[in-house]
Amino acid sequence: MSLFSALQVSASGMSAQRTRAEMLVENMANAETTRTPEGGPYRRKDVVFSTDVQASPFSAVFQKELGQGVRVADVVVDDRPPEMRYMPGHPDADANGYVAFPHMNPAEEMVDLLNASRSYQSNVAAMSAVKDMLNRAIDLMR
Amino acid sequence: MADGIHPSSALTAGTDSLARYLDLLSTQQKLVTSNLANADTPGYHTKDIDFQREFMSAVRGQTPETIEPQGLYEKPDGNNVSVDRESRLLSENAIRFNLASTLVRGHLESIRNAIHEGKA
Repeated sequence: MSLFSALQVSASGMSAQRTRAEMLVENMANAETTRTPEGGPYRRKDVVFSTDVQASPFSAVFQKELGQGVRVADVVVDDRPPEMRYMPGHPDADANGYVAFPHMNPAEEMVDLLNASRSYQSNVAAMSAVKDMLNRAIDLMR
Repeated sequence: MADGIHPSSALTAGTDSLARYLDLLSTQQKLVTSNLANADTPGYHTKDIDFQREFMSAVRGQTPETIEPQGLYEKPDGNNVSVDRESRLLSENAIRFNLASTLVRGHLESIRNAIHEGKA
């Protein structure tokens, strides 16, 4: 039960939340994108988290590990139908003058982004608390 | 050792249970960090240890058993991590660790003092 693996767990949380924030930022940047390499409008992406056992090879052999980290298990593409807007002058308009825009709710993305940022902060707080404990333990040897 | 007295018992008597306390605190802290890291993982359940029981347990040096605390609100995605609960435990554990390590330090200090015959 080394405290060092607690640092690793917090770090996994930070990197997962960062990936989530990156996805959300990408979604917001592409809120009006009508052209993608796959064709059609941009489709919003979402991350799926799953638990991850942080097993450094040494400690895995040495003792049963308790802490579970988190990892991005999958990036899913939102398959909601695109939003059709009537814009006859637009170069990507179809025969009826409708343009397919990504189906996106800016409020949804912002709330999710706030959540990601708060979760990141709680992981940072956990990491600094653990770091403080480690330093205390090291101080015993002085 | 022949008469049943462990030679180092006088030195470690005070620190034995403190060491165990520190050990359990770090175990619990590790579970708290993993709960916080998984605050957004669907289906994840809060993990903890039964601190009292582990501390009183006669079996030493074993990996403590994890439990899933009951009575926490479970979100629709099956996750029941309460960030408030975890933040409370996080700072509580840090303070407890702080206190216990100060006590260990004081104990070591007095042993060092004895070795140096009370001289500074």
